[in-house]
Amino acid sequence: MRGFEGSAAVRSRWRRPSWTILTSLAVIAIAVTVSACGGSSDSGSTSSQAATASKSSSAKSGPASGDLTVWVDSVRLPVAKAYAKAHPNVHLKIVTFDGDANGATTLQTKIQLWNRSGKGWPDIIFSEQVNDPVWMAKKPFEYAAPVKGLVPDNALSQWPAPSTAQCTIDGTQYCVQDNLAQVVLWVNQKLMHRFGYDVPTTWQEWAALGQKVATEHPGYIIGNSGDSFSHWVYLWSGQCPLQQLKSDKVVINSTDGHCTRMASLLDPLIKNGTVPPLSVFTPDFAKKYGGAKDKVLLMPGPSWYATALFHDTLHIPAGQITAAMPLKWESETPVTTGQVGGGPWIISRHSKNLNAAGDFVTWATTVFNDNRPGYPAYAPLADRWLQGLADDSYFAADPTPALKGAANLIWKGWNLVTYPDQPVWSNTVVTKLVAGKPLSSLLQPLGDGLAHAAEAAGYQVDRQ
Amino acid sequence: MTSSYAEAPRERGLRAAVRRTRGLRSGRGLPFVLPYLPFLIAFGLAPMIYAVKLAFTNDEGSWTGLHNFTRTVDDYRFGPAFKHIFVYTGVWLGALVVFVVVLALLLHGRANRVSTSFRFLFYIPGALAGAASVLVWLFMLDPSVSPGAFLLHHVLGANLFVESIAPGHLPFIFAMIAFWTGAGGWIVVMYGALNTIPPDLEEAARIDGAGPIAIALRLKLPLIRKWIAYMVILSFATGTQLFVEPQIVNQASLGLVPDTWSANQLAYQKAFRYADFNAAAAIAVDLLVIGLFAAVLIVTRTGLFRTED
Repeated sequence: MRGFEGSAAVRSRWRRPSWTILTSLAVIAIAVTVSACGGSSDSGSTSSQAATASKSSSAKSGPASGDLTVWVDSVRLPVAKAYAKAHPNVHLKIVTFDGDANGATTLQTKIQLWNRSGKGWPDIIFSEQVNDPVWMAKKPFEYAAPVKGLVPDNALSQWPAPSTAQCTIDGTQYCVQDNLAQVVLWVNQKLMHRFGYDVPTTWQEWAALGQKVATEHPGYIIGNSGDSFSHWVYLWSGQCPLQQLKSDKVVINSTDGHCTRMASLLDPLIKNGTVPPLSVFTPDFAKKYGGAKDKVLLMPGPSWYATALFHDTLHIPAGQITAAMPLKWESETPVTTGQVGGGPWIISRHSKNLNAAGDFVTWATTVFNDNRPGYPAYAPLADRWLQGLADDSYFAADPTPALKGAANLIWKGWNLVTYPDQPVWSNTVVTKLVAGKPLSSLLQPLGDGLAHAAEAAGYQVDRQ
Repeated sequence: MTSSYAEAPRERGLRAAVRRTRGLRSGRGLPFVLPYLPFLIAFGLAPMIYAVKLAFTNDEGSWTGLHNFTRTVDDYRFGPAFKHIFVYTGVWLGALVVFVVVLALLLHGRANRVSTSFRFLFYIPGALAGAASVLVWLFMLDPSVSPGAFLLHHVLGANLFVESIAPGHLPFIFAMIAFWTGAGGWIVVMYGALNTIPPDLEEAARIDGAGPIAIALRLKLPLIRKWIAYMVILSFATGTQLFVEPQIVNQASLGLVPDTWSANQLAYQKAFRYADFNAAAAIAVDLLVIGLFAAVLIVTRTGLFRTED
């Protein structure tokens, strides 16, 4: 509360980049701080079963104990809580933060501060940003510890090769992916049946259906283009070379044929309203297309949309949604798809309790399966998770064949870099799509923006 | 600000007399400033000197001259960030001066009870701390929940939140937020300033035939000129140092608004994302110089520190 005549002084202090600002921001960023410690008496069967499994699969140096601090996004809060419950000897401190979602740089700023003060690093971080380990492994951040020796070798070998590759920076593996985030085509089977449409298998069929929907059933949508990650859904799938590492350079070619053809395909659909430039996580989207309105006919999107979006956010009733294989470009092979997320677990090299940290990450990725939000990256767990999904009555048909089929189709021509590309997409493209500009005219500015971001992050850029 | 004051030559003699007594006075004033002095040094001067030092050195501490300044100016985000804050400061300061002065003058002309309740009304929004008030505005700007949805629709042409925060609207929106949260406090301050005007002056003017408008413009306004100058100096610095509003809207819009929208945000990103404290310091010094320049300009133009009149 402000003082009477001191209001201006207080206000101006707010704007200065003082420590007050920094700490206040930290308070905003860290929405909830939960200190979950000790086990409760009602530990369910899953937890105790999980605890035994954890012991068998994990470290050699005895059961985990001691203090452990872990930073997670809100989606990963349940796994951290479950770990605390199953491991009463570990005094776990859980901090939730924004997860670096949408290309935020919360972790960069926090790690900078911890590095400067020489203390405060959490033992483990979960980031929604799949590229975060790339800068965490490098100077000046140097936060990540190599996972070899912390997560058992026999477990590490069970991650799919592309996933391990995404965590490997300059030859050393610095993280393990929590989940795979392959893009599939989500289908509202009930609506498709009612309208008498066939599920498209190519982007061309999908676009043609979009034109049809616009005239026959206006208001219904076949996708969206306003997320901070929409370019991962469309341009990554379409093999648009926006970030390819070639030796030390980043190749950015936003006007490559692969990009322009996807843009030309999308433009009429954005215009006719079947692929609106809105984020699926905005209240506006839920209001227009979610819940009782139930206007999502098709939606190219990542595997974790299964429950996180359709059930939890949009509240689409049970018995409607299922997944189909990723769309292909005409008859081109091999079919490739995009990736949205696939957040990694990173262990701190400053941790005083590496044994427990390794145990936590191993447990979170290889054992925890209770209401797990995403497709587990650890292959043996993926099979169990998919089985659970196949039996889930929420889905109109078994979505697992498509999810499993798409898992290995993520296009490898999109490399992870130290800078987040989502803000560039959001600032230069989404804001303009909202204003009615066609995507085709925005590819050049998108490339320029990415090149600027790459150069600011210290990369040499090869614009073609 | 409309006042023009011709200085009679005899005033120069007066001013010399004032200067002679100043030495004595400053000694007497010291105990009053003393409690504030440690804070000024610890949180004002010391960080400022540290920033200036950082701005002219590199991360190893060796002198680099203007290098940090030139490379931050060359940064692709520097131009837009400064353009944003200048447009914003212009809009906000203009609105602030006009509305605060007009509302304060109107309040002062009212009957006491009416004016008390209005003063209270104007002040309420200011009771919310900076960040909290921005959160309120996130709802105000979302047409699906905003009580002012028809205004958003007719004035900004926005039916969706993303349309409300279109890049072209942002300086105006941030100015609106800042005005809404800050103006009330200033209206109260101006009202207080108006209360210091001796009632006999007003009465004399009335006897001379001045109506309420003439009294407001020709008598009251010149007498609160220094208060207005004071408000402009503080608000100018506040305006160019904009941080909280764009930072929170950046998060709330899922990244649609860049995290380097304002110059202060750019400095923050330079320091904590790129670990480039020297570049951040250079931008901070830029802002300091701009603020100082504006302050000197206003002080000399309005005679803010002149004590004899």
